[in-house]
Amino acid sequence: MRVAGQATLHAPIERVWQALNDPAVLVRTIPGCQQLEATGPDAYAMTVSAGVASIKGTYAGTVQLAELQQPTSFVMRAAGAGAPGTVSADVTVRLIEQEGRTLLDYQAEAVVGGMIGGVGQRMLAGVAKKLAGEFFDGVNQVLTGVAAVAELPAAEPVPGAPQVFTAPPQPERRVAGEPVSFILGAVFGALAALAGVLVGARTARRS
Amino acid sequence: MTTRLIGEPVQRVEDPRLVRGDGRYLDDLGSDAVEVAVLRSPHAHAKILDIDVTGALDVDGLLAIYTYDDLTGPLADPLPLLIPHPALTHGRTQYALARDEVNYVGEAIALVVAENRYLAEDAVERIVVSYEPLPAVVGVAAARDAANLVHDDVPGNVAANLVQQVGDAAAAIAAAPHRLSLDLSVERSASMPLEGRGVLARWDADAGRLRLWTSTQTATGVRAAVSVKLGIDIEQVEVITPDVGGGFGVKIVHPWPEEVLVPMAARALGRPVKFTEDRREHFVSAAHERGQLQHVEVGFDDDGRVLGLSFRFWHDHGAYIPYGLIVPIITSTQALGPYKIPNYRVEFDSLYTNTVIVTPYRGAGRPQGVFAMERTMDAIAAELGLDRAEVRARNFIQPAEMPYDQGLIFQDGRPLVYDSGDYPASLDKLKRLVDWDSWTSYQAAARAEGRRVGLGIACYVEGTGVGPYEGGHVRVDTTGRIEVATGLTSQGQGHQTAFAQIVADELGVPLSDITVVTGDTRRFPYAVGTFASRAAVMSGSAIALAARATKAKALRLAAEALEADPADLEIVDGMVRVAGVPGAELSLGTVAVLANPLRYAFDEASKAATQFAVGDPDAPPVAEDDEPGLEGRDYYSPARSTFASGMHAVLVETDPETAEIRILRYCVVHDCGTLINPMIVQGQVHGGVAQGVGGALYERMAYDEAGQLQNASFMDFLMPYVSEVPDSIEIDHLETPSPLNPLGIKGAGEAGVIPSAAVFASAISDAEGFSITAMPISPSELFHLRLQHVQQHHEGEPS
Repeated sequence: MRVAGQATLHAPIERVWQALNDPAVLVRTIPGCQQLEATGPDAYAMTVSAGVASIKGTYAGTVQLAELQQPTSFVMRAAGAGAPGTVSADVTVRLIEQEGRTLLDYQAEAVVGGMIGGVGQRMLAGVAKKLAGEFFDGVNQVLTGVAAVAELPAAEPVPGAPQVFTAPPQPERRVAGEPVSFILGAVFGALAALAGVLVGARTARRS
Repeated sequence: MTTRLIGEPVQRVEDPRLVRGDGRYLDDLGSDAVEVAVLRSPHAHAKILDIDVTGALDVDGLLAIYTYDDLTGPLADPLPLLIPHPALTHGRTQYALARDEVNYVGEAIALVVAENRYLAEDAVERIVVSYEPLPAVVGVAAARDAANLVHDDVPGNVAANLVQQVGDAAAAIAAAPHRLSLDLSVERSASMPLEGRGVLARWDADAGRLRLWTSTQTATGVRAAVSVKLGIDIEQVEVITPDVGGGFGVKIVHPWPEEVLVPMAARALGRPVKFTEDRREHFVSAAHERGQLQHVEVGFDDDGRVLGLSFRFWHDHGAYIPYGLIVPIITSTQALGPYKIPNYRVEFDSLYTNTVIVTPYRGAGRPQGVFAMERTMDAIAAELGLDRAEVRARNFIQPAEMPYDQGLIFQDGRPLVYDSGDYPASLDKLKRLVDWDSWTSYQAAARAEGRRVGLGIACYVEGTGVGPYEGGHVRVDTTGRIEVATGLTSQGQGHQTAFAQIVADELGVPLSDITVVTGDTRRFPYAVGTFASRAAVMSGSAIALAARATKAKALRLAAEALEADPADLEIVDGMVRVAGVPGAELSLGTVAVLANPLRYAFDEASKAATQFAVGDPDAPPVAEDDEPGLEGRDYYSPARSTFASGMHAVLVETDPETAEIRILRYCVVHDCGTLINPMIVQGQVHGGVAQGVGGALYERMAYDEAGQLQNASFMDFLMPYVSEVPDSIEIDHLETPSPLNPLGIKGAGEAGVIPSAAVFASAISDAEGFSITAMPISPSELFHLRLQHVQQHHEGEPS
């Protein structure tokens, strides 16, 4: 399955790159993201909680970064698995500066397996795009100062230990009139949004 | 006088119970049973690196988790390859639980037993499996290209290559005045019974005995396999088939992993254990059929007579091949249909793919073979500008040539010899039924109104009633009731009615006095199963023979009691009487009493059979070489299959704008020899046509490149509703009795579905003016074909 989309972020490219590289931003803007963690060179783990109606679950995801061209592009190889299924995706992300704003373009080649693959694949692309849109809206709110992240409690860095970021308690999000808990999309949307995670987690590792 | 019942449209005696909701299907049983859920692979092809069950262990109500490492003895071996064949050089079957590799989405990896299914699924969700994904081989073309392998040790993904030939096809084609070649394809579909698979096991620890209920097409097959896999003496295993909500082929496969794992768990836990398959599981872990790519080369003369035909095809059998080569062998042999092809060569490869296994689905390879041959017949007619029916008629085997030896080996390992049939008569009936001769003017008139209509035709021959055997048992009890048993199973075919009709006629008893039991190994332990349209032929014949044996004994015993010659006796309405002598009669119940000399009385009837009441004091109470009881048991084991046949015509209209395909008329001429019950046969044809409409116009298995089945639900997999099935299916019967069995019957269960892909392709081609070569076909596919043909037409024009 291919999913592609674009978003306009209201800040210059370097600020966008910076925001996308800030795990404190990402952990609260990625739909359903509960926790993310650097697990090794360019490798990260994240936990996403999502579900719809009776199909709910926690998904453990891993992410590998490649072909980093700061600040203009990178490729993310992501895989997530939870009770209702598995998702793996290669996402190519490009950033282009346009008159003080940044155009972000993502293209994902995804394999969706297990129950979610068989039950509703034809709905996945749409829901994934919706969730990705929600992610970028969240990032925009941070970039434009509508939402603050200063109070976000990042875990204390311990030298030599993995960095762990935990999302604050959040009201249930909604997508297209449904609880975000729409698993089909949430898992995939989270992966599309993972674009940010990786970069963010990377920053965390560097800091 | 008893009315003869064979040939009468007797209403099905099983229906009042079933339509009132009194059926007892697998999931209606075992309310005290604990339940299982199966962890299934989300990957089409992957190595299993690790299975971590720790997270599942604290689920309340969890009783056990099994993975491959917990399997011992024969259970740890791969499941059986049920039908070996010398050409099947690379046969692979799956383990009951995957060992270190999974080869299709849905393959069983772990079995969880819990107090109920909800809890079992909760535990399944908490098991973490680490996989190393491998490239997936999806579709016939990818399997054939073999850029990736399904099984490392199977080169080219080829399980088997089989060639059969008569004459010299290549030479005949080369020398023929006309030659054509066709490339064709048929997509996957599936049996899709309303009731999925299901198993219930009770282990009696005191007796060391297993009782297993399973939604199967072969109780005796499951019994033998479970006995071997669990190391239980077969006499200690009972298999009972409850009401089964449809089989259509998928339930002939055995043992399914769950059929051995559920009794294993029942024995280990000392609790009754049940597995009820859900719909998604059925899509991804039962079986599919149909997928083939085909190439036909044909040489023919100016009259359209085929001189030589070469048929090459590639068959997708999925990740494993438990059912052997049955489906492609049937395609390769039954492609010949009613035709006399003097030089024929067929070659197939049966290929592994990382998708669900392929095993027989109603029609079992015949729809594909018929598609290849009938597209060829239409192509010859188009090439020569001849009438399509006429081209077929010129190639028919003639009635006087029966029995006709096609010179090939059929799916049962026996020569492909047609026992009987009258194809010219069938075609005449079909042409009259559909008004073939006025079609050209009808079509021209419709075209003048801007309507696109097409008439399709397709013919087939169907080997039915394959061996090795079935048996029947008929017992008369002392009340005069008749208990009939046969070992094969029922999935809605009306066996309780049809077999009772046979016994009623043979024995001379009212239908209402007869009870029929099928698929219960306690009642009849020797049987093969219900497949290949064989139940009426095989068990029907065996039951007829058993009823004749019972009658002979009844007449012999009654003759002694009535002091008459057995030849003067007749049985009418359950009374044995001396023909023409009023009052000289005994009820069959009384004869049953006499058949079992007793020492002890327990009721009025038995009093009459005690030693002081009956019998010659100087003769043994049970004569030498005789047995007590009024019963008969016999078996039917024919040397070869019997060959039914039929011809379908469909009239379709395609929307000039939307390419929607509408069925205007559907006509069937069907020959299954003697009809036991025309109403049941009609129902079988109706059901088959409905399923064929689905296969031709709606159903497909939408695998993506990664081997994920994207339409694994009834939301996305389109089955025909009543609104898609033709309002009236017009049927005419021809009865050419089979010489191979006592009643002259041939099978009818699969007939309706066999020519569907071919007849719709023929009709849509006729409506559109270009040849349809891939089935099924959707409106959007037809729309795109139209665009392509318009484009080609323009490109072909001088600019």
